[in-house]
Amino acid sequence: MQKAAQLRVTNRFGVERVIPLAKPVFTIGRKAENDLQMLHDTVSRQHAEIRYESDGYFLVDVGSKRGTFVNGQRIERSELQHLDRIRIGGDEDQQIQFIDDSVARAAAIFDSGAHLNLSGSTIDRARSASANDELQKLSRFVEVNQAFKFSLTPDDVLCLIVDAAIEITQAERGFLMLRNENGDLEFKVARDRNRNWILGGEFSMSRSVVEEVFRQNRSIIITGQSAQGGQETVRLLDLRTIACIPLRRFQMSENMDATTVFKRDVIGVLYVDSHIYSGSLTETSLRLLESLAFEATKSLESVRLMHEEQEKKNLEQELGVARAVQVALSPTAFVQPEHFEVSAASIPSRHLGGDFYDLQMLDDGRAVFALGDVSGKGIPAALLAAMAQGALQAQFASGESLDRIIQNLNRVLVQKSSSGRFLTLFCAVLDGHGGFVYVNAGHNLPILARIDGRVDLLTTKSVLLGAFDFARYESRATALASGDVVVIYSDGVTEAVNAAGEMFGEDRLETLVHSSVQLSAEQIREMILDEVLAFTRGLPQGDDITLIVLKMR
Amino acid sequence: MEINIRNSGAVTILDLNGNLTIGRSEESLREAITRLLGEQQLNLLINLADVPMIDSSGIGAMIKSYTSVKDAGGHMKLLRPSRMARQLLSITGLLSVLETHDDEAAAVSSFR
Repeated sequence: MQKAAQLRVTNRFGVERVIPLAKPVFTIGRKAENDLQMLHDTVSRQHAEIRYESDGYFLVDVGSKRGTFVNGQRIERSELQHLDRIRIGGDEDQQIQFIDDSVARAAAIFDSGAHLNLSGSTIDRARSASANDELQKLSRFVEVNQAFKFSLTPDDVLCLIVDAAIEITQAERGFLMLRNENGDLEFKVARDRNRNWILGGEFSMSRSVVEEVFRQNRSIIITGQSAQGGQETVRLLDLRTIACIPLRRFQMSENMDATTVFKRDVIGVLYVDSHIYSGSLTETSLRLLESLAFEATKSLESVRLMHEEQEKKNLEQELGVARAVQVALSPTAFVQPEHFEVSAASIPSRHLGGDFYDLQMLDDGRAVFALGDVSGKGIPAALLAAMAQGALQAQFASGESLDRIIQNLNRVLVQKSSSGRFLTLFCAVLDGHGGFVYVNAGHNLPILARIDGRVDLLTTKSVLLGAFDFARYESRATALASGDVVVIYSDGVTEAVNAAGEMFGEDRLETLVHSSVQLSAEQIREMILDEVLAFTRGLPQGDDITLIVLKMR
Repeated sequence: MEINIRNSGAVTILDLNGNLTIGRSEESLREAITRLLGEQQLNLLINLADVPMIDSSGIGAMIKSYTSVKDAGGHMKLLRPSRMARQLLSITGLLSVLETHDDEAAAVSSFR
């Protein structure tokens, strides 16, 4: 997900604010209405804007008197890059820096954490006197880290790790690489000791050291004197000090889902180096780095789990919304009229299919029965189903004839479902005298079981909806007599599969309906569902199961 | 699913072999159609004789294929769908849109 970039504004007292650029046009000027108000004499009332356009942030001067500057250059319009310094007019009191990187954001958080004294003592760049201090620093760091854990992404954590490693070792640069799905190491973070990003895709560093640490799962520390044969690059690059440690996966993660990205114990390496011979890179530093790595991997893991949890929650929420829409649109209490009885049910599958049904009493006393199935599963299917159902309800309110209504619905669906989703629908209107008009748009054939034993399958041979704009829909009519039963269903009923891989099938359903016309609508519905459940006993339901049973009194 | 492509006069016949169901097989059908249209092969006959199963994704692939062929000014017809496939094509009403033949020679000559 794209995160908004930010402005880091530091005033002349060193107090820092971070302002997210969370809108398409962010205004800067002397007037109070501006998103960033600046009171300096040289700032115009409406001075500049930061516009978010086609994936970039652009600083635009909107006719100021004293100009807008990026890194000292006066600009009219300029695309902002991460860490660009912005000056508005002649206001030198406020240091404005553009931050556009989720990882850099972490650094900002880390910085502000230090400034806020959250750690108890500001993190001191100067070399610490003893390892004890380092350890102290580290544990503070972990505290800061944890304090911010809930707003951090995994990338944020990685960045914090590298900064802390540089801190501890007094190295010049730090890199963090993680194993990708192919098992190769990938750069995630490249930082210098001023907590700036080192830009560029390739870094000159000791690959052989990194590989060895990664493959052997052991730490390597090299200082000037110990650089030996195997590590050619060490000498070539004139690196005097290198520390490289494996990032091991936190043990707890082994309980987790086997599909985690990292299948091996070593998930990456942390590498710091320096051109200067560093006497401080001792065994103690190494142990510190290792404990840092341990804490880091742990945080990383918990952040990752948290994000997964969040994603799961989001998904569940979305599913919840889609279900709620379905439920809201499905009739709950249907007043049973004099001349027929009706019983309906829809059992959504775990994946949430695209079934829906509707029962409506129109003002003129006619009743509408609709049962549809959108192809595919999940939220898009459920939402398209909800949309189709809503459109259908609106159409009936307009008083159009059934074939016109279906025709219109098809046109709407062809326009709306560009992703190639389509809808099978059976829709019927029953009047007060048993007149039954229906359109079957590519849907499973409803079963009409007459009281005299005849069974008809209701088709109009119309093509499913949402596929062809040229499709024509015609309705057919029949007369229902007292005791006649109509069963409208979705393919979740007939395609329910048992342990032997057999489908429930149309024939079984037909026989069942045929033999139970004496029962009430509700009893027939219950019996069909019971039979399907008995048939698939113990197997998860693959698709939504939806059923409307209509019986003439 | 395998797709073998052969020509019979001005007609390109796609012999499908395997289930036309969600995933790779529906993709391969659409890819094949796109490629043929790119080569200006506009008379396409889809041979379903060796396609035991079609699911809703397969139906979707056929609808999309048909639409893109039509949009390109071409014709797409079906040959010998299996019993199950025919049933599904019938229920979904596609038989009323997609011209379907049981005899290859007759199908080929119907393009003229």
